[in-house]
Amino acid sequence: MTMVHRETVLENRPLAPGADLYRLVLRGKVAATARPGQFVHLKVGNSTDPLLRRPLSIAGIDRDKGEITLFYRVAGRGTALLTGVRAEESLSVIGPLGNGFTVPAAGELLLVAGGIGLFPLVALAAAVDRARVKVKVLWGGENRKFIEIVGREALFPLRVDYAVATMDGSMGIRGPVTDLLRAELRGKDLLQEEEGCAETGCQESHCRDLAPVTIVDGKTRNGPGMIRAAACGPQGMLQAVTGLLLQAGVPVEVALEERMACGVGACLGCACTVRTADGALARKRVCRDGPVFGGREVIWDDRD
Amino acid sequence: MTGIDLTTRLGPLQLKNPVLTASGTYGFGEEYKAFYDPSLLGAITVKGITPWPRRGNPAPRVAETPAGMLNAVGLENPGLEAFLTACLPRLERLNTPVIVNISGFSLDDYALLAAAMPEDSCIAALEVNISCPNVKDGGLAFGTDPKRAEEVLAVTRRHTRLPLIAKLSPNVTDIAVMAKAVENGGADIISLINTLLGMRIDIKTGRPVLGNLMGGLSGPAVLPVAVRMVYQVYQVVKLPIIGMGGISSWQDAVEFMLAGATAVSIGTANFVNPMAPLEIIEGLEAYCREKGYTAVGEIVGRAHRR
Repeated sequence: MTMVHRETVLENRPLAPGADLYRLVLRGKVAATARPGQFVHLKVGNSTDPLLRRPLSIAGIDRDKGEITLFYRVAGRGTALLTGVRAEESLSVIGPLGNGFTVPAAGELLLVAGGIGLFPLVALAAAVDRARVKVKVLWGGENRKFIEIVGREALFPLRVDYAVATMDGSMGIRGPVTDLLRAELRGKDLLQEEEGCAETGCQESHCRDLAPVTIVDGKTRNGPGMIRAAACGPQGMLQAVTGLLLQAGVPVEVALEERMACGVGACLGCACTVRTADGALARKRVCRDGPVFGGREVIWDDRD
Repeated sequence: MTGIDLTTRLGPLQLKNPVLTASGTYGFGEEYKAFYDPSLLGAITVKGITPWPRRGNPAPRVAETPAGMLNAVGLENPGLEAFLTACLPRLERLNTPVIVNISGFSLDDYALLAAAMPEDSCIAALEVNISCPNVKDGGLAFGTDPKRAEEVLAVTRRHTRLPLIAKLSPNVTDIAVMAKAVENGGADIISLINTLLGMRIDIKTGRPVLGNLMGGLSGPAVLPVAVRMVYQVYQVVKLPIIGMGGISSWQDAVEFMLAGATAVSIGTANFVNPMAPLEIIEGLEAYCREKGYTAVGEIVGRAHRR
């Protein structure tokens, strides 16, 4: 009945020569029950330093082969140690853990990713029935090099519709992914300009373009054309993305990240704050109650 | 091969084996059910309960350290009422003795908590937490002043017949003085150590890592401090000791028992190896067999023999 598995490493290599991003493929029991949005808690070595496991989101699930694909960035001593693990070796893995994304059966699914927040979202893109669900990925990254090496491994093979934004403008539009999202929502007539023109009856182009739009219920609520979204990335990006989507009436699920110890809900180390149905604020455990939360319920800047 | 007698007597508390889980590392007992049956343990200790619900400290609440970790959860808990109505019935179904950790900010808080805990449930004992380092008032204040520690135990004693475990803080100059104080106050058992107050600073941002700035250090890093304190406390009180602080293997557990602990609690090790408590029970049994002991209690205090 244990959930601690020994999984065999099939592959553990940098995405490009010298890159600090790695792809890790494991074969074992986790794949049989893993869902998009869930994570595994990995032990990176046998010593007590570093002591804790490392949570990594699941980016690919191949049930038939019993394989999961994970990606990680070398960010500290734990992930640096992980790079030394070779194919054929085994790793202690707890999982799959967490709740996972809702997998829509029909309609449109907008996936909004910031940087390596792409990884759990590609698992979701791969899980939907694309004959019935139209998937589009909006992805922001530092520059062309990042988008190319990560995209080649994680996104492009999925053959989904996507658009990218880079901070330096070297690929796609220049700016954050929120700019892509704003354009996407406007294109769907779901978003009005946040800052209206002060002039009543103004006929300048910036106002004519933004004639008041009515949000069509059938498009955002249940129905064949329903649009949903899922997002993952740095907290500031998630907060902005969630704000835009909610303003547009598009329900969004967000995958949160927090420092974790146990990974199973026992230590209360990875707290986030949510507003419950009755309006009260409550702490939730990112590892156990999440990592996926409804965008509407998350309180982003709780400081007390 | 004869079986080793693992039964463990801690004053009024009789347990099937000497391996427990530490408060704050085992939720309310449900989280590790997916790994093994908690009734295999001597007892489980649940998260500290306060009279009123507490949302605890803002994130980040944990930080890794060399061979250890800091935590500053801040006693997040559902409060007494929700504990009794929601948590306790679920704990009842685990079929294992439950130690409830109670935390207060005044003597009245401890009295209220003790009086409210049923004496005819799965609750086998109360662990009086006078050592939480992560809250502003109370907590540690009671745990560093022997007179106040004695008072807390005396007040709690008057409000329950359940066995009382006094959980001591290592953040004191003389642990022996604190141990004697809680013995005088009416504790039946002493547990130690709680976490050592620590801090980490992020050199990129220049700011403390934890939302609460400081937190409690646990894990293998604190083990020698804890062993030393168990050894010192064993010399000055008659009460049985539950030893804890960085135990992650049966070898660590043996070390604590040699120092004078009758039972041991597993804390941070649960996060790394959820199976650790069971492996430690098996390891203790094998150690006794190898040493020719018939009961696990024969290990206790041997380091004090000349």
